[in-house]
Amino acid sequence: MSHHKLEAKDLHYSYPDDHEAVNGMSFCIYHGESVGIIGANGAGKSTLLMLLMGVLFPSQGEVCVGDVHVTKKTLSMIRQRLGMVFQDPDDQLFMSTVYDDVAFGPRNYKLDEKEVEKRVLHALELVGILHLKDRAPFKLSGGEKRAAAIASVLSMQPDILLMDEPTAALDPKSRRRVMELLTSFKHTKIITSHDLDMIFEICDRTIVIKNGEIAADGTTSEILVNAELMDKCGLEVPLALQNCPVCGIKKG
Amino acid sequence: MSNIMNSLYNMRILDDLARKETAIHKIHPLVKLLTTVSYLTVVVSFGKYDIGGLLPLLIYPSMVFALAELPVKPIFMRILLVSPFMIGIGILNPFFDHQIYLLGGKEISRGWITFLSILIKSGLTVTAALLLIATTGMDRLAGALRMLKIPRVFVLQLLLTYRYISVLMEEVARTLRAYSLRAPEQKGVHRSAWGSLAGQLILRTFDRAQRIYEAMCLRGFTGEYHTGGFKEIRVWELAYLAGWVLFFAAARIYNIPMVIGSLITGVIR
Ligand SMILES: Nc1ncnc2c1ncn2[C@@H]1O[C@H](COP(=O)(O)OP(=O)(O)OP(=O)(O)O)[C@@H](O)[C@H]1O
Ligand SMILES: [Mg+2]
Repeated sequence: MSHHKLEAKDLHYSYPDDHEAVNGMSFCIYHGESVGIIGANGAGKSTLLMLLMGVLFPSQGEVCVGDVHVTKKTLSMIRQRLGMVFQDPDDQLFMSTVYDDVAFGPRNYKLDEKEVEKRVLHALELVGILHLKDRAPFKLSGGEKRAAAIASVLSMQPDILLMDEPTAALDPKSRRRVMELLTSFKHTKIITSHDLDMIFEICDRTIVIKNGEIAADGTTSEILVNAELMDKCGLEVPLALQNCPVCGIKKG
Repeated sequence: MSNIMNSLYNMRILDDLARKETAIHKIHPLVKLLTTVSYLTVVVSFGKYDIGGLLPLLIYPSMVFALAELPVKPIFMRILLVSPFMIGIGILNPFFDHQIYLLGGKEISRGWITFLSILIKSGLTVTAALLLIATTGMDRLAGALRMLKIPRVFVLQLLLTYRYISVLMEEVARTLRAYSLRAPEQKGVHRSAWGSLAGQLILRTFDRAQRIYEAMCLRGFTGEYHTGGFKEIRVWELAYLAGWVLFFAAARIYNIPMVIGSLITGVIR
C-alpha cells in the first residue's frame, strides 16, 4: 500500500518574520503506522503538520503523499486523503450548526445528501456528541468543540489522520473516548501531543522534535523511557512509567 | 464588558431564529427570497408623498412575524441599529421642501411628509430583509441565490462577510475581556491602549480569518458553498408566492385604504 506513504524530505520552513520554525526534517511514515510527534512548546510541531497538509509550503525540501508531491496543483487530491484536526477548534468550526459543520467536508465532495447524513451522524456518534448536532458551535464548551472538530474530519473518512493535540482540554472520559477512537482508526495517524501517556498507549513510533529539528525517531517504548533524551528536549517520562508517588514502587 | 459578550450572542440570534421549524421556516428559500424581492420592489416604487398607500404593506411583515413566531424585540433592535442612517438620509428634507401640504385640516411642510415616507420605506425594507434572514438562515439563502444563477463570487463574498463579522466580534469580545480583567478599575479602554488594541485586533482577525479559510480548504472547499440539497418547490409554496405577489400588486395599483374608505362611506350613504 505504497499510496498511503507519507514522506518528508529535508523540510525547511521559516515564517515571514524570518523565524526558522522547521529546520531540515526528514522521515517517512508508512501505511497503518501511528506516529506520535512530541516536543516542547514552540518546537515546531504544529508548523510541521501544516507543511504536511500543504497549508504552508516548505522553503526547501518537499512532502510526498504516496508518489505525489504536495504542490498547489495536487492539493485538492491530497486533501481528500488527509484529514487534519487543528490545535484550536475555533479555527475549524464556522458553520451555524454542528451538523452543518460536520457535513461541510462531505458536501464539498458532492456526495448525495443521504450519504452525507449517514456519515455525519456516524461521525457524531463516534465522538459521542450526537445530542449536540443542532447546537451552534460557538456555544459549546472547549471539550465539546474539540469533539465536534474531530467529527468534522472523521466525516470525510480520510486515509491519513493528522491531529494537533487531540486530547488537550478534554475531561478524562472524553479523553478516553478519543483515545479509543484513535486506536480503532486503522489507517495511518500522526498525532502531536503533550499528553505523553496517550502517545505511549496509542503510538508505536515517536518522533521527538527540538527547535525545528528531529532529535530522535524510533519506537515509542524505547524513546519515552529515555529520561536523558526526554529531559534534554523539555519533556519528561510519562507518568505511567514513573515511580508510584504513593508507594514508591518502581515500575517499568 | 459583559454587554459586549451579550451583543455577540445577540448577533447570532438571527442564526438561532432561522433554525426554528414553523410553517414559514419550512417554505423553500427561493420562494421566500422571491417574495421578499417583490415586496422590496413594491415598497420602493411608491411615490415620495404617498404614505397612505404604504400602510397595507405593513400586513406582510406582521404576518411573517406572527406565523414564524419570531420575537419582535431583537429584530426591532436591529432596525434601530440602522435608524441613524435612515434619519441621516431623510432629515434634510423638511428644510429643503417647504411646500405646504394639507393633512386633516392642518398645514404641514411637504418635507416632513417625504421624511416620514423615507422612514417608513426604509423601516419596511430593512424589516423584510431581516425577516428573510431570520426565517431562512444565511446558508440556505446563499443556496437560493445560487439557484438564481447569481455568480459564485458574489454569493461567497456575502457569506464570508457575514461570517467574518462574527469572527471580528469574537476577537473584539475576547480582547476586551482580557483587557478589562487586568484593568478592573477602568470604565472602557484607556486611550493610551487604543492604538495597540486596535492594531492587535486587526492582525488577530486577519490571522483568524486566514486560519478559518485554511480549515475550509482542507475540507475540500473550492469556492462553491454547498448547503445540502434543497427539496423541490411544492405547489402550496408557489401559491404562497403568488398570493403575496398579487397582494403587493393590488396594494400598488389600488390605494387600498381609500378603496375601503369609499366602500364604507358608500354603504353608509
Ligand atoms: N504565525 C507565525 N509567525 C511567526 N512565527 C510563528 C508563527 N507561528 C508559530 N511561530 C513560531 O514558530 C515556532 C514553532 O511554532 P509551532 O506552532 O509549530 O510550535 P508547536 O510545537 O506546535 O508548539 P505548541 O506545543 O505550543 O503547540 C515557534 O517558535 C513560534 O514562535
Ligand atoms: Mg502546536
